[in-house]
Amino acid sequence: MSFDYTGSAYAIRDDIPDAHREIWRNIGQPGNWWRGEDRVAFVEESRNARSCRACEKRAAALSPEGDFGPHHTTTNLPELVVDIVHRLTTDPARLSRTWLDKVNAGGITDEAYVEILGVVVAAISIDALHRALGLPLEPLPVPVAGKPSGYRPPGAADSGAWVHTVQPENASEAEADLYPGGRAGNVISAMSLVPDSVRMLKTLSRSHYLPMRCIMTPGDNAGRAISRNQIELVAGRISSLSDCFY
Amino acid sequence: MLSLSARTHGDTVDINGVVAGDEVATGIPGDRALLAFAEVCLGEDAAAIAGARGQVMEELGEAAMVDAACIVANFQRMVRIADGTGIPLDPQMAAVTAGLRKDLGINGYSAASLTPEPGWAARLLARLMKPFLPAMMRRRTAPQKG
Repeated sequence: MSFDYTGSAYAIRDDIPDAHREIWRNIGQPGNWWRGEDRVAFVEESRNARSCRACEKRAAALSPEGDFGPHHTTTNLPELVVDIVHRLTTDPARLSRTWLDKVNAGGITDEAYVEILGVVVAAISIDALHRALGLPLEPLPVPVAGKPSGYRPPGAADSGAWVHTVQPENASEAEADLYPGGRAGNVISAMSLVPDSVRMLKTLSRSHYLPMRCIMTPGDNAGRAISRNQIELVAGRISSLSDCFY
Repeated sequence: MLSLSARTHGDTVDINGVVAGDEVATGIPGDRALLAFAEVCLGEDAAAIAGARGQVMEELGEAAMVDAACIVANFQRMVRIADGTGIPLDPQMAAVTAGLRKDLGINGYSAASLTPEPGWAARLLARLMKPFLPAMMRRRTAPQKG
């Protein structure tokens, strides 16, 4: 069984491995724009990025643009895709609209990019929890054969972000589950160009952070062992250390 | 959210700890251990992480440490979603937090340019609404199921 935490030194809530298994299953499936094996390779490259000399050099450089040598890679992904995954992993605060334009010019559409983002951030989050708890990383998801669906949500439009999003008022029936209250913050709708990315985000947020119904209720800690103040202190510190304005 | 959460409970919290780290006593129980844990978890030093993990457990207990680790993991995801899509702050949040962001110095972050600074009318309205925000936010999300 994947994500078996019974041997962990610490008691881990059951909803956590349940969520992780759901995400791993999802990552292994063909997506909207990538095959299952590509999606699994994104996870592998995200792990490679943490020991990538080129990423280390870039992170230390004043500008993220320039030649820092080849990335440490173990997959067959195109060089540009490897670079996207490594940047998302090791230098996200210095991504820019100009950089994404270059990604698009290299043949990676916004839709394909958002799917990479959705997979990478889910994997980073799960791996981060393992590292924080001193647990070994989970073996990679098992890829499932099949073609990407090519589905683009019909309500996707410019909402001020670098990529198109589906805002709650434009969500079609297929995307109605993304926003059950009819409203959502920008960070929830950010990846809605690939709706499953939002679904993965919600699954993980429910177990790692708080159920959606609690998030905008200040003081509600959903019965966690730390108070809402303690939760938001840690959240705020991670955001600050990551130079994240949002 | 920390500011709102503290206000809801009537707690006095120095939110500068979010930016300054464990140099600031925030008034939140276990703050230094939690901040140190968050900080080392962004690095690769497994021994340092183990040490910080032990400190949180000693001060707050095992379940609290696991939940804190979950928050660390969650926000390593959220910051990348925000940074990777170039989303601006939600307009209401931008208005309400205008002063706070200035005080904390986070308007210097590169992504700050994605969010237009709210005008004086929006800032005034936000200031007048501030005491009612916790109740408004509760109402806004009441029908949702998590």
